[in-house]
Amino acid sequence: MSPSSSPPWFRPLAGLAPRRSRQLWALSFVLPLALWSVVSYVPFIWHPMLRVTDAGDVSWLTPGELAPRADVERENQAVRARGGHPASGKPANPVFLPAPHEVARALVTGFTTPPFRQDEPWLHQSLWHSIQVIFWGFLISSSVGVPLGILCGALPAMARLTEPFIEFFRYLPAPAFGALGVAVLGIEDAPKIAIIVIGTFFQQVLIIANTTRRIDPALLETAQTLGASPRHLLLRVVVPGVVADVYTDMRVLLGWAWTYLIVAELIGVSSGITFFINQQAKYRAYDRVFAAIVVIGLVGLGTDLVLASLGHQLFPWLKTARRGWFSHAVAFARRDRTSPRPSEGAGSPAAEEARV
Amino acid sequence: METLALPSYRAQDAAVSARFARLRQRPVILDVQNLEKAFVTADGERIVALDRVSFQAHRRELLCVIGPSGCGKSTLARLIAGLEPCSGGRVLLDGKPVDSPGPDRGMVFQGYTLFPWLTVLKNVMFGLEVSQGLSSNGAELEARQWLELVGLAKFSASYPHELSGGMKQRVAIARALANRPRILLMDEPFGALDAQTRAQMQSYLLQIWREVDITIVFITHDLDEAVYLADRILILDAHPGRVRELMEVAVPRPRQPAQFRSPTFAAARRHLEELIHPPIEVAAERLPLRRMTVVGDDVE
Repeated sequence: MSPSSSPPWFRPLAGLAPRRSRQLWALSFVLPLALWSVVSYVPFIWHPMLRVTDAGDVSWLTPGELAPRADVERENQAVRARGGHPASGKPANPVFLPAPHEVARALVTGFTTPPFRQDEPWLHQSLWHSIQVIFWGFLISSSVGVPLGILCGALPAMARLTEPFIEFFRYLPAPAFGALGVAVLGIEDAPKIAIIVIGTFFQQVLIIANTTRRIDPALLETAQTLGASPRHLLLRVVVPGVVADVYTDMRVLLGWAWTYLIVAELIGVSSGITFFINQQAKYRAYDRVFAAIVVIGLVGLGTDLVLASLGHQLFPWLKTARRGWFSHAVAFARRDRTSPRPSEGAGSPAAEEARV
Repeated sequence: METLALPSYRAQDAAVSARFARLRQRPVILDVQNLEKAFVTADGERIVALDRVSFQAHRRELLCVIGPSGCGKSTLARLIAGLEPCSGGRVLLDGKPVDSPGPDRGMVFQGYTLFPWLTVLKNVMFGLEVSQGLSSNGAELEARQWLELVGLAKFSASYPHELSGGMKQRVAIARALANRPRILLMDEPFGALDAQTRAQMQSYLLQIWREVDITIVFITHDLDEAVYLADRILILDAHPGRVRELMEVAVPRPRQPAQFRSPTFAAARRHLEELIHPPIEVAAERLPLRRMTVVGDDVE
């Protein structure tokens, strides 16, 4: 192999050149988009419907309407047999599959056009609402689930005490608690947050407990020979030893939380992004439905990219670690904090000026 | 076959025997008495890993433990460290029985056990903070001195994954010594290193051992390493692990790599070899191979 050539494609675990890696990343989005475009723009691929331009003598058609092509064809034969004027139009896809450009347009107009009815929320309001629900649900779940998971992983007694019940409970589908949630917590956001917590928490404990159990026991033994007490082992070896892997688990779990959000929002509570999607579907505004779905995807992908990038910087001991925006931000904040503060008149414009 | 006529491995010159006389005068730090370790397998079979092992190590002695694989060398180190319970007998450190791990017995493992999330400096500070209760500043000052001693001061801010294998083990030695343990247990610490690095590490270890008040129990399967490093060598038999012999190494100190070619060294090494690989076993090592090449195309 010459030094410049990339590793072969089909060798398991072969490394990827950075350039090729970026190309493939882009291609993973381009390929589905291309498939969608082909189905949308190439007339003979699918297009089972007809956008009627001239109804002719077919009594049940009106211009501008979408009709199944096969039905119109059959009707036209009958019309021709009677010596009438056949209907005509352009082949089209069903209303539930808008073309990419329509969705792209709806992505822009979705944020700029007001809702159909005055009392309905805008797209961005719905989205923001959902993000808040996710945030609180995930925060509540994690604030108990992460410590409990690490404890279960570290202490067999703790695992024995809690894991059997959690194993049982995680098979109870979170949506099943929807009605109960509404009865107990009312019809605001509380039952939705509760469903996200129920859906996330039990998986979270088990996953993080398993991650914690994978810590290298030799590190614990080493720490013991250095005189570490059980408390030190937990706080100074187990916790820092697993934190990077737990962080990765949390990224996966956050994706699950989104799934439970969609489920939670379907339970008769009229707000959030799912409600928006449902409403748009009722109005047969499928371009907006797709736009909203794409927005969820973009928010999810965006969050994950930010978290991944943050992860590379939070854990400088990993081989993937690199300095980036976060460490620069921290350095900036630290510099600001440690810079000498004027003892009096702090905060006044003059003092600020003097500092600069 | 031509072989060298070697002196007896027991023959010591005056300086060496005077040295051993002085060593025997030193107080006993580690006293292992009738130590036993037995496992019960899944089939309910009882396997004796160590059978009534007894020996003593004097203050500032460098004692090597050697034996064929399966003789329980590592188990012995883990029992002394208190990482595993023994099935019988006892380990005394300064006359006090040992039953759990403690900072008075430092340990360096074969695998790399630096904490990957801590910098080199923080790794060395770990023991100082958790067991000596030093403040962060005090621990840092102390840790820097130990890093200086192993020649890695300028890597104090590096993370373990940025170091070579030999450097990692030097940090591990510094980390164990920083706690000021009574003994340092080393379980094949250089086993994973390449030959050159290993020779370098052996030389570093001897230098450190001369400068620091420390008793070292060094587990190895490398005969040259044992002869090069040790004052005395504890030779174990396998299945069950028993003390075969506690041998005094007649090679004078300070040790130098040139001594590898001295007759005293060769005599000590040959004695070890005879004990650990007896000629009967060597004969049994013939593979049941048949000729798979053309007749006449032989390579002896």
